Amino acid sequence: MDKRIGVYICQCGSNISDWVDVEKVREVIREENGVVLARVTMFACADSAQKEIVADIQQEPLDAIVVASCSPKLHLYTFRSVAERGGLNPFNYVQVNIREQDSWAHSDQPTQATQKAIRLIRAGIAKVQQAEPLTPVMIPVDNTIAIHGAGVAGMRAALELADLGTTVYLIEKEHFVGGRVAQWGKMSVTNQTGEEIVTEMYRQVIQRPTIHLFTGARILSATGSIGKFTLKLKLIPRYLNPPCDAIGLKKAMEACPIVVDDEFNFNLTKRKAIFHNFKSEFPALPVIDMNACTRCGECLQFCTQIDLDQQEKIIDLQVGSILLTTGFNPYEPKPGEFGYREIPSVITLQQFKRLLELSKGEFRFGGKKINRVAFIYCVGSREVEGEHKYCARYCCTSAIHAALQLREEFHVPYIYHLTRGIRTYGKQEILYEQSSVAGDVYFQFVEDDPPNVEASGDHVKITIHDLLTANQEVSVTVDLLVLVTGMVPRENDELEQILKVPLGRDRFYNEVHPKLRPVETVLDGVFIAGCCQGPRNIHESVSSSLAAVSKIYSLLNKGEIQLEPTLAIVNPDTCEWCGKCVEGCPFDAIEKAETDKGFVARVIESNCKGCGMCTIYCPTEAIDIKGFTNQGIRSMIDAMAGD
Amino acid sequence: MSELDPTFAAEIVKYGATHFNACYNCGNCTAVCNLSEQHADFPRMFIRYGLIGQRNKIVDSQEIWLCYACGDCSETCPRQAYPGEYMAALRRYTIAHAEKTGLTKLLFTNNPLFIVITLIIALVLGFLLLTIEPEEVISRWLFTYIPYEVIHNLGIAVFILTGITTGLGIFALIKKLSGQRSSNPDKPTTSFSWSKTLMAIQKVGMEIAAMKRYQECDKEDDSLWKHRPWLIKPWFVHWSIMWGFIGLVVATVLDFIFKDPATVMWLPSRILGTVTGILLMYGTTLAMIYRIRKITKSYADSKLADWAFLIFLWVAGFTGFWLEIAVMSGEHELINQIVFFIHTVISMELIIFFAYSKFAHAVYRPLALYFYFKNREPVSAT
Repeated sequence: MDKRIGVYICQCGSNISDWVDVEKVREVIREENGVVLARVTMFACADSAQKEIVADIQQEPLDAIVVASCSPKLHLYTFRSVAERGGLNPFNYVQVNIREQDSWAHSDQPTQATQKAIRLIRAGIAKVQQAEPLTPVMIPVDNTIAIHGAGVAGMRAALELADLGTTVYLIEKEHFVGGRVAQWGKMSVTNQTGEEIVTEMYRQVIQRPTIHLFTGARILSATGSIGKFTLKLKLIPRYLNPPCDAIGLKKAMEACPIVVDDEFNFNLTKRKAIFHNFKSEFPALPVIDMNACTRCGECLQFCTQIDLDQQEKIIDLQVGSILLTTGFNPYEPKPGEFGYREIPSVITLQQFKRLLELSKGEFRFGGKKINRVAFIYCVGSREVEGEHKYCARYCCTSAIHAALQLREEFHVPYIYHLTRGIRTYGKQEILYEQSSVAGDVYFQFVEDDPPNVEASGDHVKITIHDLLTANQEVSVTVDLLVLVTGMVPRENDELEQILKVPLGRDRFYNEVHPKLRPVETVLDGVFIAGCCQGPRNIHESVSSSLAAVSKIYSLLNKGEIQLEPTLAIVNPDTCEWCGKCVEGCPFDAIEKAETDKGFVARVIESNCKGCGMCTIYCPTEAIDIKGFTNQGIRSMIDAMAGD
Repeated sequence: MSELDPTFAAEIVKYGATHFNACYNCGNCTAVCNLSEQHADFPRMFIRYGLIGQRNKIVDSQEIWLCYACGDCSETCPRQAYPGEYMAALRRYTIAHAEKTGLTKLLFTNNPLFIVITLIIALVLGFLLLTIEPEEVISRWLFTYIPYEVIHNLGIAVFILTGITTGLGIFALIKKLSGQRSSNPDKPTTSFSWSKTLMAIQKVGMEIAAMKRYQECDKEDDSLWKHRPWLIKPWFVHWSIMWGFIGLVVATVLDFIFKDPATVMWLPSRILGTVTGILLMYGTTLAMIYRIRKITKSYADSKLADWAFLIFLWVAGFTGFWLEIAVMSGEHELINQIVFFIHTVISMELIIFFAYSKFAHAVYRPLALYFYFKNREPVSAT
């Protein structure tokens, strides 16, 4: 049955009509099959024009409308709602773009532009002829969330969501919460320590009964989709049965004969196989590192609560949504990069921050008192040719703040900064001024001509062509050289494979749109926040995690969500189940299903994005996208190419 | 290559630089300076030299003498690093470090000691003036207590002393300012050429005569001086003091040569003395008012060295006029004798301190300008 179609040709003021002869278009289109009405309007999007269309739909009456105007990006939803107000299904409306794709593009050839407009509108008419009324898909949603990473971003989001009534599973890979921030000492601008911030957040976390914290946990697998994910978690035990007697534990730790590098202090110090990183660390229980432990049993003599036979546990979680706050790793310089690992007095910014935290009274390193310290900036950041092209944002501020602490608390008089331009953006600029007024000397170099670092007895000699002094060569001899190392993505291959997290070229997790959709991923229901997305400071990390909270809450609190109906659909009569569509689908949205006639493909609607990849693979054209069927596209091409 | 010397910055602070390590190298100071140009890159570059301790770059430089301390740079500095005051400190440092006895270093960096030394020298001069017995006596009331012969001979001694100290310094100075000792290998080395030398001498002469470069300062639209009459502009104040002083020295020398200080107003040396004395008084008085009222940034930050120099000149001028009037009216009173005593002592001290004070800039600046003009690449019209 032919539909009764109304066509509206918009002049867009003069944006379209200056180059497209809209009257001529109207005359031609008026004669097309099924077209009962063709009008030219000054602005189709204007309120009065919208009212006219609604009136036409009801009076003529019309079964479908075509608006030839601007890009659907601008007004698709405007006219869908016009159709709805007229009593049509919104999918019985088609927008034809004769502005961006015609009048603007062909302003030098008005005759041909007019011809093109006619053909484009014909295709639109063909499409609307084929259009079927569609209704959005509704999916139920569990009001639970899994947050992966119990750093500041993860804990902040957990607290907020718990207060909004969501059940939170807070999953932490390590045995202690706090992430990287727990390792920082005093921080700009408040001089609060990372330990203080993390302690306070942890106290709040354990007060919320709806936050379930899992430490030593990793995700083994994830199935399902938005609204209902199933996660399989592996939990590594602490090998302790609380409550434990503190004195016994202390003795047990002293008795442990195993000594390994302490990663918490970036290998500056050693720790035992049974350890906790700092006194007030949380959970306030030590843990036994089974990778190092030899099960010698020395500790058992002092502490009966130690249980080396505890087993790993596997549990399943059902969640409506997932938030990844997995954080970052500090850049590890290559051996020999600015003397790293070759000269003992060359350390990274992160090690230096730990050193400040571990120092009391005098500032010493390797047994000697430190009087002169130099910082080389942008190590592993802003590499034009290298892997890390980005600026790590926090390091200028962190290094200058640490240098000020070095001067004020430890009275180190000579501090030099070898930079590639200081980026203490925003309010942090004040630190930069404070430091130069206090007497720190700043140098500048370019990436192509980095400072040369060599050992000079017990000291480190650095030679730089100083951009600020007409590229003069200046050498500086110091007791300690700090490489201001930036951020790199954490190595989480396992998690990335399981969740199929989209990675950027820099290997940080990718958002849908850096400005407009900054915490969503292309995987519906999977959100990202904090440094797993890219370098940022704590303020920015927490801001992004709160942004994620508002997105997640608006998703979870309704109990169900609405999906665009333009999804894949399988015709079970023609499907012969070859499995090719499964290979083609990038979103795991097709599964094998059994019917009385045998196996066929079935679309998991909550996973399907309507991308159409499956339709290309299907040898029998049994799979189609609703609203963009193969037949519909063919008829559009015919209409466009016909005489 | 030079090794960084972190102690140097602290040393410059002793010579009056403040807060200059606040500099973040924006270069506004250099951009706003009308005297800084391609081969004379200051003040920013000199702050760098100070921060990384390149002493030679500073003490050998012509650039620091090209600056007249108009203070535009300090007004413009977004970090309040006071580049103008810093340049002045560099000049003090350079004067002090060119003078080998170490006396100037003490005078510039230790205010109480400066006063003590000034007083001691005044006492010694006074003692000599009052006690030496002359061979011949000119009997005029003015010379009752300080005989003319004594002033004459002591004056010659003072001039010789200053001549020796200055002369010794000048050779070292020429070597430094000509760039022969410069640590910068990029500096153009030019072979001797008569035309260039003459041109440079002519240009220095022009500068001394008309302060053409100084007039370039304070030309900014927002400058306080832009719409003020030239009579009260800083360049003219400086011109008045300079020519006032030169005129008075010439008049004094003429008096010495004729060995009979004129008592008649209309002798040429007396007319010269009167006119230039008025110039000196005008210039020093205005300069002192500007400094007291801190009229611009360049006048706001006055050091003892600046004050001492101005006060000495002003007192010398004031007492000179007092005596001129007293002599004309022939008033033989004790007060005039005291004024005469002060005038003589202060004038002699000015000359003695020549190489040891801010006064030394009178040698540095023309010499630096000479070498600057001589070595400067001709600026092409494009």
